[in-house]
Amino acid sequence: MRSRQPSAPAPSAAREDVILFTVCGFRFAIAAHAVSEIRGPEGLQRFSLGTSYLRSTQVDFTVERNGTIYFVVDAARHFRLPPSKPTRLLMLQHTSAAIQVDSTDRMMEISVLHALPQAFTGDERNWYRGLAVIGGGVVPVVNQNAFLSKAEMAVLKAAVQRSRGAAAV
Amino acid sequence: MSAIGEKSFVIFPLGARRFAFPADAVTELAKPDLLQVFPHRTKMLAGVLVRRGRIVPVLDIAQVLVGPDAPPRKFYLIVNRKRDQRSEWTAIPVTGECELANSELIARTSTMPQYASGFLSLGDEVVEVVALNAFDAFNDGLDNATGKLPSREARS
Repeated sequence: MRSRQPSAPAPSAAREDVILFTVCGFRFAIAAHAVSEIRGPEGLQRFSLGTSYLRSTQVDFTVERNGTIYFVVDAARHFRLPPSKPTRLLMLQHTSAAIQVDSTDRMMEISVLHALPQAFTGDERNWYRGLAVIGGGVVPVVNQNAFLSKAEMAVLKAAVQRSRGAAAV
Repeated sequence: MSAIGEKSFVIFPLGARRFAFPADAVTELAKPDLLQVFPHRTKMLAGVLVRRGRIVPVLDIAQVLVGPDAPPRKFYLIVNRKRDQRSEWTAIPVTGECELANSELIARTSTMPQYASGFLSLGDEVVEVVALNAFDAFNDGLDNATGKLPSREARS
């Protein structure tokens, strides 16, 4: 049997700083520039969409930061994992979303981002930007834009506006 | 030398049964390697291997070909899988060593499983030739409980 070179897309070789975090024992990475702050879970406010049609939302909490309300996405639920014990919040840049994760590890530089193999055809194609090999282990690099879609964000913001309006009456 | 109409196939075992891939699609037979897993929603994918600097998805077809009681897989058959004019290595866990055979590919019959592109007649043994892309088409419909593929009628 001879070895043949498949014509899969070449991995992206741009260097990138990532933050490693853990959810339910799985390690993930997120682009460092996508995160504005890592903080504890203090100040979480219980949030409910009430009778909205977005019943399956992954958001149970909000947190206010510098006058902005962030919607807190449970990463375990996002990745369809069993409930976990989140202790850290990753506040995302350029969006009103935060991710609730079990723990953060460290920031490091990756030199290669491998495309997700085409064999993966499920939700993970949206969840991940690609895969990195770190210390011999394969770590998915998450797509920070996948935690809340624009539509979900619009519905969540409308719910907040509604609740504020109701409180003012 | 092979006779006219004969092609080379890699015959691989899954428990008591044997199946085949066209030899020109097979890259290597690899020893057990560290299977790496991360959350995903694609059925039948067991995880990935890091192989010669590449990330290779592991497609566990045994659950469909021989059912949930397939014995432990011992090796990975690395297959160069073509899809959408591109190709990608895919690791197929198998339960024993493989062999090369020259044979004529006999066209599939309507009663054969959907994953079979045809079969080989090797002595008193009929060996189904597996078409990996068939598992893609059925992936969404794979029964979680039984691991069986739905019938063509059920899909349409």
